[in-house]
Amino acid sequence: MSTLSRGLSSQFEVIWAVMLRETLTRFGAHSFGYLWALLEPLLMIFTFWVLMTIAHRPAPPGMDIFTFLCTGIVPYNLFTNTANKVADSINGNRPLLYYPLVQPLDLVFARTILEIATYGAVFIILMGGHALYHHHLEVDDALVASMGLLVAGLLGASLGMVLCMLGQYSKFVDRARGFIFRPLFWLSGVFYTVAHLPEKARDAVLVNPVLHCVELVRAGWFKSYHDTYVTVTYPLLFILVLGFIGLSLERAVRTRIELT
Amino acid sequence: MIELKNITKLYRTKTGENLVLDDISVFFRARESVGILGRNGAGKSTLLRIIGGAEMPTYGEVIRTGQVSWPIGFAGGFSPSLSGEENCKFAARIYNADIDQVIDETRDFADIGDYFFEPVRTYSSGMRARLAFGLSMAIDFDIYLVDEITAVGDANFREKCQRAFDARRERSSLIMVSHAIETLQKYCTRCALMLDGKLTVYNSVDAAARVYDRSLKLKGKKESAQKAG
Repeated sequence: MSTLSRGLSSQFEVIWAVMLRETLTRFGAHSFGYLWALLEPLLMIFTFWVLMTIAHRPAPPGMDIFTFLCTGIVPYNLFTNTANKVADSINGNRPLLYYPLVQPLDLVFARTILEIATYGAVFIILMGGHALYHHHLEVDDALVASMGLLVAGLLGASLGMVLCMLGQYSKFVDRARGFIFRPLFWLSGVFYTVAHLPEKARDAVLVNPVLHCVELVRAGWFKSYHDTYVTVTYPLLFILVLGFIGLSLERAVRTRIELT
Repeated sequence: MIELKNITKLYRTKTGENLVLDDISVFFRARESVGILGRNGAGKSTLLRIIGGAEMPTYGEVIRTGQVSWPIGFAGGFSPSLSGEENCKFAARIYNADIDQVIDETRDFADIGDYFFEPVRTYSSGMRARLAFGLSMAIDFDIYLVDEITAVGDANFREKCQRAFDARRERSSLIMVSHAIETLQKYCTRCALMLDGKLTVYNSVDAAARVYDRSLKLKGKKESAQKAG
């Protein structure tokens, strides 16, 4: 084996081991741990379902309230949870860095893969459950919908990586995180679609890359919904830039990470 | 073997920069046992973490050949919420060792009974040390880094550690940090002394110990002179 492939396989082993460990600590502590990953979006869907019913606001044409909310909340949660989990990846796993084989980026990658896999499964279970209940499944373009989810996860991971590395310089970053995420919830198209917004509002929310991910999931899932405003290149650009900044910061921060 | 080239480590503290390791260059041969002697807080553990690669030096370079262990000590890489067994599984996975074999051998060596299946946070420091030492013995390393750990535990356990190392001396080397001269005398042939961020290597533990004693006395005198003045 060449040095490169040996290095790669050893890195995969480390990432795999960290993922298994994360699953144990996060979900294994309580037997209903994994259920929580399902319950959290379900509760949010239920809340907005009630709100929309009270407000007499129907789902956009061709969607019912459940699938409309599910295609909004799952990618949004995937983004925020990946960002938060990755931002905490060093602080939450510091003892592991005591093993020289485990490097900060392994922790970042392990959490990214785990979040995307978890929320991908949550999406399939929720939407699949709904389809089974109604004996009806119609997906316009599964690839576009999956890409929306994947891009949401990667966007969260790249932002989380920048926050994680900055957090090694200043504790303030961790406290400021909430201020970034709170307004994003209202700007990400979770309970409205871009096509039905007035033009001015539309231009404003289109600046937000998370909205593009949500819209991609919906455009991919629903035959009746066409979105001509969003592109996958826009969030990808964010991922590239944030990823570049995050990786550069990691190099700068390496010598500063303290184990004790 | 391990070679350190111009290793310098600065920690940024509230009062400014703290120079812990000051331009250290040293060469450790394969299959030799070297002690590192120094006061508490002299930077010994930092040096060990840098040798292992868990921490990066601010400047300088470390060249390693062979599989180097993590610094075996109390701090350890253990996740407090996971059991001893699960922590062993993790280590076995990342070092690509046989998981069942590592678990059996560690359990045997650590000899902590059913605590092996309890979360590590419930362990005493002695039990942690037993687990850490047992685990490192179960995974084959070419170079063992040991941080004070053998000074703990009862006589029985200390003897067990020494036997385990004696059995390995043929194929593995040992770098051991301690402020206890007696421990280093048992394990090491050469000895380095850590003083004010500098590392000096002596050909015997006794030689290093003499300089160490003198430096302690000198420091004591200085302090009492300062108090008197």
